Amino acid sequence: MKLSTAHKIGRFFQYFVLILVGVIMIYPLVWMVGATFKSNAEIFAGIGFLTANPTLQGYIDAVTQNYGGDISIWRAFLNTYSFVIPKVIFTVISSVIAAYGFSRFKFKGRDMLFGIMISTLFLPQVVLNVPQYLMYNSFGWINSPFYLPLWVPTLFATETYFVYQLVQFMRSIPHDLDEAAAIDGCGPVKILYKIIAPMLSPSLVACGLFQFMWSCNDYMGPLLYVQTPSKYPMSIFVKLSMDADSGFNWNRILALSLISIIPQLVVFFCAQDAFIDGISAGAVKG
Amino acid sequence: MKKAISLGVAAAMTATLLAGCGTAASSAPAASSEAASSTEATSEAASSEATATEAHEINTTDPIELTISWWGGDSRHEAYQKAIEAFQEKYPNITVSPTYGAWSGWEEKQSTALAADQGSDVMQVNWNWLYQYSPTGEKFVDLRDYSDIIDLTQWTDAAKNACTVADSLQAVPISMTGRIFYWNMNTFKQAGIEKVPTTYDDLIAAGKAFQEKLGDDYYPLAIGQYDRMILMTFYLESKYGKAWVENNECQYTEEEVVDGLNFIDSLEDNHVIPTRPTMIAAGFDSIDKSQEWIDGKYAGIFEWDSAPSKYQSALADNSGFTVGEEIKFGDKANGGFSKVSMGMAITKSCQHPVEAAALIDFLWNGEGAAIMGSECGIPASTAGLASAQAADAVKPLVLEANTKVLAFVDMPLDPYYESSKLKDTTDGIYTDVFDGLSYDEYDPQEAAEILLDGVSGVLSANA
Repeated sequence: MKLSTAHKIGRFFQYFVLILVGVIMIYPLVWMVGATFKSNAEIFAGIGFLTANPTLQGYIDAVTQNYGGDISIWRAFLNTYSFVIPKVIFTVISSVIAAYGFSRFKFKGRDMLFGIMISTLFLPQVVLNVPQYLMYNSFGWINSPFYLPLWVPTLFATETYFVYQLVQFMRSIPHDLDEAAAIDGCGPVKILYKIIAPMLSPSLVACGLFQFMWSCNDYMGPLLYVQTPSKYPMSIFVKLSMDADSGFNWNRILALSLISIIPQLVVFFCAQDAFIDGISAGAVKG
Repeated sequence: MKKAISLGVAAAMTATLLAGCGTAASSAPAASSEAASSTEATSEAASSEATATEAHEINTTDPIELTISWWGGDSRHEAYQKAIEAFQEKYPNITVSPTYGAWSGWEEKQSTALAADQGSDVMQVNWNWLYQYSPTGEKFVDLRDYSDIIDLTQWTDAAKNACTVADSLQAVPISMTGRIFYWNMNTFKQAGIEKVPTTYDDLIAAGKAFQEKLGDDYYPLAIGQYDRMILMTFYLESKYGKAWVENNECQYTEEEVVDGLNFIDSLEDNHVIPTRPTMIAAGFDSIDKSQEWIDGKYAGIFEWDSAPSKYQSALADNSGFTVGEEIKFGDKANGGFSKVSMGMAITKSCQHPVEAAALIDFLWNGEGAAIMGSECGIPASTAGLASAQAADAVKPLVLEANTKVLAFVDMPLDPYYESSKLKDTTDGIYTDVFDGLSYDEYDPQEAAEILLDGVSGVLSANA
């Protein structure tokens, strides 16, 4: 009896602390939702999330602003996903192939190549901007209507981080499985997509998710390579009106940001199931 | 084997790092020696308003495509779009396609494009870009070659000189900007002061009155670390009558700088300005968002002439918001701080420079100026300002501030004054010096040494 009371008290404190910290962590997000209904003066007045005079103007402006017909929020959405989706698919495919090569085959200079590939992980994007721009310029890809400079490189496993992550994952998959498949008559390609890829699926989902979020939020890439306003993606569209000199309505910017993250949230929650499915997929029999 | 690989990788990484530094370091000196020589050359450049070598004619028949780029906020995007529409109506054969965005990242975008000679034909440029990206005049067209299309007489020589780099007028100034005082006269009246401060003594008296009548929390002026640097330069220039930097050399001795730092200290000691610890403890990043400014406890700022509306609208009661007068700190000169806020240039990669020149003239001297109004600051072109005023497209408060600044300031600004090494708000020299001084980490002697070392470091890196 005594023990269970102590237990209950312990439980209470555990949850109390968890809830408290949880609320503190999520408050900025809640505040952002609240702030979309406030005027500028109220936004800077305090940290409360409720407002005395709620206004929908922020949302109305967010969906109606179209810069003289150049670009609207819907157009920006369409533009974003028209290069983000190929980018995600190609990144996952090319990274798996590259990782498969590095983790399963022994060839001359493999370790050296792997070292070089890892070293590019430490190369900041800023350093690459100008040379890449010059290269794409010589291909005639600047302001390409198909966003070529943004997704074509992902065909070549240029996202080192994912290749590295997948190599680590593949190392944990026992070679016994490959060998068993080989005995059953699988070639290297079949081993990859019949055996390795399914086992990797949680990791693949993680790669896809990360790439999806990074690409949606990427600002510098589209800013450099997209020039026609009607082709601007969401990340640029959200920022278009943010000018420190003249000031702007924060509620519109916050409403825009909120709308723009909805698809990302949906994708994220859908993908959560795949995470768990992937993990429960079988391994070697005991 | 493994060791060899890791060595190789490490070597490759250092090599890339070094390569990165190498280009930056080697290109910078070349860049600025040009800039330095150009400042000398500017005086002749502007006077010899060379007439165009050959007469140009705007093509009004063949289809022509031009691109233009700018940064800004919603209202500026809209103004440009309308002006471009009007331009296309006037020249139906010319199509102008714009690209625009917010300031953040814009410089990276444009500098990358310039490096690849892919910049838009007509480009809104920040003043220091001319020195930074086209120090030898290789990126932008000399606009004097098109003086039969752009009426260059509409700009003052001083304004044109500032845009003349490597003996080439690389841009026309869209607007000039500078620093001026703004006062919240409601608080001043509570302290029993009716007039805006116009002298150093007025400031000191205001400090005393604020402390005695309103309390320790009230200050007549609040300035950040960079504002302090500008105000000190202002003071020194008017007291000693020489520009802060000339011929790429700081003109002030250590004793003189110590005098300037003592001046800032005297403002703190006499309760004219809050100390940096006080301001930092209040925890805001810009004064217009601080509770002290909103409630009128800080009753003055030293800010850009283009900024008043932001500060005015932030006030809880803005009835007392007033554009102040520049303060005369000495008899030798007026000193002060003004610069070209932005310019408009034609890139060398432009295929139709004549029509691009026509677009510039349309935007800043012609009908377009009435549409642009004060969206990019008060127009520096005389004709442009006149037509913007006629169209009632100029904010009166900004115009008042701008007129006062430009009528007063008599010292040119060093193009490297705002170099990020100096100005950076976390580890810039100005921040180090003025925060250190205010926190009593440095005495004025030490602070002066650090400041002069820092400034000459930046200047020699650009020499």
